[in-house]
Amino acid sequence: MSRKTWKVVRCVSVLAVSLLCSTQLEGQIASGMLSGTVTDPSGKAVADAKISVKNVVTSQSAETQTDSVGHYNVPSLTPGDYEVSVSAEGFSTNVSKVTVAAGAKQSMDFVLGGALSLGDLGISQDQAQGSAQDQARLNKRSHMLMLHQRLGLIDTIPLVATVIAGTGAGGKSTSSSDRYLHLALGSVTGDLYFLSAYYAIRAPKMPGEPVRGEIRWHKALAWVHGPGMILTPILGAIAFDEKSKGEKVHGIASLHGPVAIVTAAAYGAAILSVTFKF
Amino acid sequence: MHKRFLMALLLSALPAFAATDNQWFLAESTLTYHVSHPLHQTEGVSHAAKGKGVCHAGQCEFLTAVPVKSFDSGDSNRDLHMLQVTRGGQFPMVVVRTRLPESADASTTIHADLEVQFAGQTVKYSQVSFRQVTQGDEIRISGTIPATLSDFKIDPPSLLALPVKNEIPVRVEMTWQKQK
Repeated sequence: MSRKTWKVVRCVSVLAVSLLCSTQLEGQIASGMLSGTVTDPSGKAVADAKISVKNVVTSQSAETQTDSVGHYNVPSLTPGDYEVSVSAEGFSTNVSKVTVAAGAKQSMDFVLGGALSLGDLGISQDQAQGSAQDQARLNKRSHMLMLHQRLGLIDTIPLVATVIAGTGAGGKSTSSSDRYLHLALGSVTGDLYFLSAYYAIRAPKMPGEPVRGEIRWHKALAWVHGPGMILTPILGAIAFDEKSKGEKVHGIASLHGPVAIVTAAAYGAAILSVTFKF
Repeated sequence: MHKRFLMALLLSALPAFAATDNQWFLAESTLTYHVSHPLHQTEGVSHAAKGKGVCHAGQCEFLTAVPVKSFDSGDSNRDLHMLQVTRGGQFPMVVVRTRLPESADASTTIHADLEVQFAGQTVKYSQVSFRQVTQGDEIRISGTIPATLSDFKIDPPSLLALPVKNEIPVRVEMTWQKQK
């Protein structure tokens, strides 16, 4: 072989060797490693736990076991997404996902859960899993009933004031300012009352839930003060008209006072029924 | 001849020396929570808990679960409010896990580390003591779990602007039976 030929052969050989080395080097840099520790819920190391690492794309898998101190090591993993499954006798299987980067030493620890699950107790997935919708409904119900409660409590102030002002507005009194004050306070009472009632009536009901306990009294008393809060201003308007004409309050209008007292008493009892335990 | 006879006897006795797994199931239960308010003292009771225990290699694992809405305080409005405040619509079960050594069934008092899942939170209670009475294949245990509202990130409900106390101890009375 001539000198020239030898030179060419040498160059090609050097190129080939360097290419080969760089490919091997690339291969060495590209693979990753996964390691970690497996423990039980109390923190104790789990020996001989089986670790299975499966590439999600290629389905290639590698398996290993933890040593006496619960440590495992899975080298030479091609970069990518993996599903890691850890199982041991007496424990439930733990499956997790991990992404292994090129040349990276990934660490992933596992805490194995107990062998028992809710299914072992005869509790189905549906029973164990709640629903955000149900919770939202409960939240709306509680919020509206909270508004009902607050408005109802605030309304006791103008209610009591209306009753007190009523003593000056009725009977032998001829003062129109007392009548107008009683009318104004009564209007505020009525407005707040019906606003409070709106929230109670429109609060979501929970289907299949029977009504039990003190709340039954609270709901029953609403059938007294509810119609009373409608009848009282009607009778009051008639009485106001008669008084304005200088007449003595008579006939059906004379029931305004007693109906108002019964209404106020039922209202107070309704509040007490959900405040104290009797 | 004697040697062969002895070997046969030993081999036949081996199964008796092998470790056998025991299983327990919850036969009866009464769980009672207690809520304190200046105007009200309230208790809610549930008898709907389900439980199972598995013993293996000297260690027993117990799992108990009870639906949040099974607790009855005597007032349906209060129970529904409790369900809302404890996020029972989203997390309908209270789940309790514990591990005990199998030898614990011989003591009159046990101290258990409990892992409680409730209202979307997992809380660990260490060394909760329970009294234990064994009657044949039945064990009756009773004790109190020192739970608080803040442990489970529950906002304390209030009545007339007064909140309830943070402490909500749960009294536990259970009867466990060994599965045959």
